[in-house]
This record gives sequence, structure tokens and C-alpha cells, in this order.
Amino acid sequence: MAETVSNGIEQSTTAEPGFSLKNRLIGIARVSPTMAAGVLIVVAFGFMALFAEFLMPHDPVSAYHDRVLQPPSAEHWFGTDGNGMDVFSRVIYGAKFGFGIAIPAVLLAIVIGVPVGLIAGYRGGFLDEVLMRFFDGLRVFPSIILALAVVAATGQSLLNVVLVLGFLDSPVFARLVRSEVLALRSSVFVESAKAAGNPTWRILFIHLLPNAVQGAMAQTAVRAAWAVRISATLAFLGVGIQAPTPEWGAMIRQGAEFMVTGQWWVALFPGIALILLVFGLNLFGDGLQDLTDPRRRAAK
Amino acid sequence: MSFTRFLVRRTLTVIPLLLGVVFITFMLIRVGGLDPVGQLAGPTATQAEFDMIREELGLDKPLWQQFLIYTGNVMQGDLGESWLSNRPVLDDMLERAVISLELLFWGVGLGALIGIPVGLRAAFRPNGKFDQTTRVLSLLGFSIPTYWLGLVMIFVFFYLLDWAPPAIGRIGLMIFPPDTVTGSYLIDGLLAAEWEAAWSATTHLILPVICLAIVSAAPIIKQTRAIALEVLSSETVRYARACGLPERTVRKLVFRNSAVPILTFVGTEVTGLVGTMSLIEYVFAWGGLGQYGLNAIVRGDFTAVQGYVLALALFSVLVFLVVDIIVHLIEPRSELS
Repeated sequence: MAETVSNGIEQSTTAEPGFSLKNRLIGIARVSPTMAAGVLIVVAFGFMALFAEFLMPHDPVSAYHDRVLQPPSAEHWFGTDGNGMDVFSRVIYGAKFGFGIAIPAVLLAIVIGVPVGLIAGYRGGFLDEVLMRFFDGLRVFPSIILALAVVAATGQSLLNVVLVLGFLDSPVFARLVRSEVLALRSSVFVESAKAAGNPTWRILFIHLLPNAVQGAMAQTAVRAAWAVRISATLAFLGVGIQAPTPEWGAMIRQGAEFMVTGQWWVALFPGIALILLVFGLNLFGDGLQDLTDPRRRAAK
Repeated sequence: MSFTRFLVRRTLTVIPLLLGVVFITFMLIRVGGLDPVGQLAGPTATQAEFDMIREELGLDKPLWQQFLIYTGNVMQGDLGESWLSNRPVLDDMLERAVISLELLFWGVGLGALIGIPVGLRAAFRPNGKFDQTTRVLSLLGFSIPTYWLGLVMIFVFFYLLDWAPPAIGRIGLMIFPPDTVTGSYLIDGLLAAEWEAAWSATTHLILPVICLAIVSAAPIIKQTRAIALEVLSSETVRYARACGLPERTVRKLVFRNSAVPILTFVGTEVTGLVGTMSLIEYVFAWGGLGQYGLNAIVRGDFTAVQGYVLALALFSVLVFLVVDIIVHLIEPRSELS
């Protein structure tokens, strides 16, 4: 097993001629079928998000007042909700929110976290100590509650949700990059770059960054899964994203009251979509971590 | 290092962390730019009333002074008053803490009871069928939104099958709760020999506990597997195998050597699950601390939010402390990190 895994790594990292993209994908699929399944799910949802306008049979926010709370039918595949809106169209449109929040949030977390980790690891000393203590302090708070409280306190808008998630997630990247930098700080290539007279920023971003960022990059899919989950949770509680918005969490909130009266379709379908996307991202992320972490690879 | 010395040193490390926690809690509301004065004064208040409330709350002072006052108040157990309940936040929370702890205890207990054996079994045969299946299942467990799972369970077991009672509160509406001894209706009911009450409390507990157990088992499975795999490839185990010890003895050894890291992980996980549990409480109208906190967040009761967030952080710090002490008792060699 170990052999096939290492072959898979080489296939996916070396750009030998003759290795087409297709072959590489097949290589990944062979090494880790679960990861391939994850990628497939994520791509499918990405497709849904991009082409939602063409895929939706109805407008996601126009209410049919004569068709309130109808069970799934040929006309409305997932039924209609309490406002008489088409649940199927809304579920498709919801993919836009999933990606629209997760991608910028994770990018923001990287943009904040990676430089902080680089500098903290390279400089060390007091700055590093203070930052790490601050991150330790943040870790004591459950992430969902912290995200909820900060969004509620700083103003409830979609932009704010993205900013708060990105900020709260940045320590993950900072920590990973920092520990890599600590290990690399006194290595020969850094020493020689220093001896050649490179300024600090060049050492950090040209020399250290490419070598220190791999572990952090492997986390992106898992962190995106986290962002999708948390943003839906916020919407479920009506914090940041409000109810008629075709966002999955907000839709589950709308459907909650109908669960005890038997109209299961309003909350069930957006929940399944949410699970599938998060599950896909987690499968993808799990595979990514296996590919990049030699310890996890060896364990298999 | 003697145990008392360890205890003292470990407890001292908590102090800077606590300061940081109080600081973050303080900033949480202050950075928001939301004005608690407007909330208290209402829409018809005059400028004079505004100023009066502002002064009363100490908001006219510079930020660092406010922080010192806040820290002082927190140390005296004064967390301010909730404007939703018009009562001290601390009283509100103390009343509800046991209710939440009961749910947390059963939920995580059941989760660990499922997760640890499953994780160990998966580790003994890495990449076997069992391992592959549980790996995908635990990732699925990671991905299910708790509140949705709770809603689906209510639909299936209350609406469709009519096995579960309506998801409101912790005991049937027509049943008198037993006298308070521990605060848990189940245990109090058993203590007072009020079987009907104890039974009703149990039926109300089942769904939320299962819900929490499913969510908590997933990471426990994953982590137990990883820990056991590491132990399996350690020199100790390889030596035991080389000596030809029977598989049963080897497994016992693996379990013994993974116990401490697994315990540490479950401890840290408990603190993270407090957030998840709040959502379960919210869906099942449990009436505990979690529901109180979420309600405060949703309704914008910021004194209560502050108190709630602080309480959760203190709980985490306490759990970490207790776990470290237990680990030290099991394995006195473990270093102070």
C-alpha cells in the first residue's frame, strides 16, 4: 500500500511529459477513491453554484401564494415552503452561498494567517510569544459560539460573516506555517540566502514561504468545510443571514417548525445539500492531508 | 516533581490564560460598535437619559479603565444584568448550568463509549473493511449539522413513530419535577423514588443525547484510531510482538498506552462540543445554559452574551486543568507543557 501511495505522490507532483491531467486524476482516484469522490461532489456543487440560473426551474424567491407547503410533486420536486417558494430552486441557489462564503473566508484566513505565521516563526521572541498566547486564548472559546457572538456584536451582514469567519480561522494557518518555519529557520538554504544579502522580506516570502506552506494548503478544503458549516449555523439561528434568503441554514430554520407538523421537505432537502457539500469537502481535505503529511501516509 | 508542586505550577499557568480570556470577552462587545445604551434606553429616551445610563454603565470612561472595572467585577462574580430577564447574568447561568452539564455528560459519555472501541478496532486493521467504513462514517458525522439531525430525529421519532415525547423541555408537562438535589430530573427522580418522573426525564433525554453522541463520536473515532496507530508502530509494541506475546496481551498494551492521549483528546473535545450542544438545546427547547446563551446572542442581550462566552471559556480552562491533573495522576512522568 505504501508503494502505491508514494507512486501517486510522484504522479501528482512531477510534471513529466506524457502525464496528462486525466492520467493524474486517475492516479489520485486510484490512490484515494474517497478523495476522488470528495472532489467529484465539490465539483458538482461548484457547477450548481455557477449555473444555478440555468438549473433552477423556478425563481428561488418568488412566492406562489396558492401553493404554500405543498409536498414534493412533478412541478415542485422538493415541494414548496411556508411562503410558497420552490424548495428545489432554493436548494440549488443555496450552493452560491456555500461557495460565496467559504472561498473568500478561507482566502482571507490564508492572507492573514500565513504572513503572521511566517513572521512569528522567523522572528520568534516576544512577538511570537504574545501571538501564540493570543491564539491559545482564542482556542478556549468554542468556535461556533465565538463566531456567533462576534457576528452578532459587529453587525449582521453577509460581508461581516465572511470577515469574521476568515479572521477566526486564520490562527489555524498561522500555527501550521509557524511550526514549519521554526523547523526551517536554521536550515542551510535560509542561511545561505541570508549570507547572500537577501532582505528579510525576500527570505520570508521567496525562500521560506514555498517551503513552509504545504501543510497549511492541505488544510484549505477542511477549513472550507468548516466555513460552510459555521455560516449555515449562523443562518439557522438567523444571525448574519436572514430567513427569506435562499441559504441552506436559513431554509432549515424556516422548515424547523414544520418538522413537528409533518411538512418534512422544507428542512430536509437543504440539510442534505449542506451535508453533501461539507462531506465532499471533508473527503477531499482528508485525502489532501494524507497526501501531504508523511506521518499520516506512513500510518496507512 | 511531587504532586503538590505539579498542582501548584499547573494552576498558576491558568492565570495569564484567564486574563487573556477576560480581555477577549471584554473586547468582544466593545469592538462591535453596538451601543448597549440605546438598547437600555429605548427609542423614546432623551439625551439626558442617554447620558445618565452611559455614566451608570461606566461607558464614559476611557477603554482601559472600563477594562479594569470589568475585570474587577468579573473577579467579584458580578457579570452584569441581563436586559431580557432583568436579573443578574450569573444567577441566570448558575440556574441552568447543571441542566446543560447533564446533557453534556450523557452525550459525550455515550459518544466515547461508541467512539473509543470503534477507533481501536479500526486501528488494529488499518485499511481493512471496518476501518474504511468507519472512516467514511466518521467523516459523515463531522459533516452533519447537529440542529438538522435533531430536527430530523424529532420528525421521525415524534411525528412519524410517536415514540418520543414532544421536544419541549426535560420532563412531561403533566408531571411534577422531583425535589431538587442534583438538578438532574433523572437522578433526582430516582433518588426520590418517583419512577414516573424519572422515566419521563429519561424519554426526554434520549433524543438529544443520541444526537450529541453521534456528533461527538465522529472525532473520537478518528483521533483514537490515529493515537492507537502511533502506539502500534512504537518500539514497545514492536518489541512485545517480537517477543511473541499473544495478540490479546499486545492489544491490552496498546490500550494502556493510548489511554492517556485519548483521555486528553476527549477532554479537549468536550470543550468544543459545548457550542454544538447549545444548538441541540435550542432545537429541543432544553432550557439549559446553551439555549440561554444562543437566545441572548439572537436577541442581542449583550451582557448575557458576554457572561455566557466567559462561562464557556472558563469551563474549557477548568476542563483542561482537570484533564492535565488526571493525566499526571495516571502517568506522573508526563511533563508540564
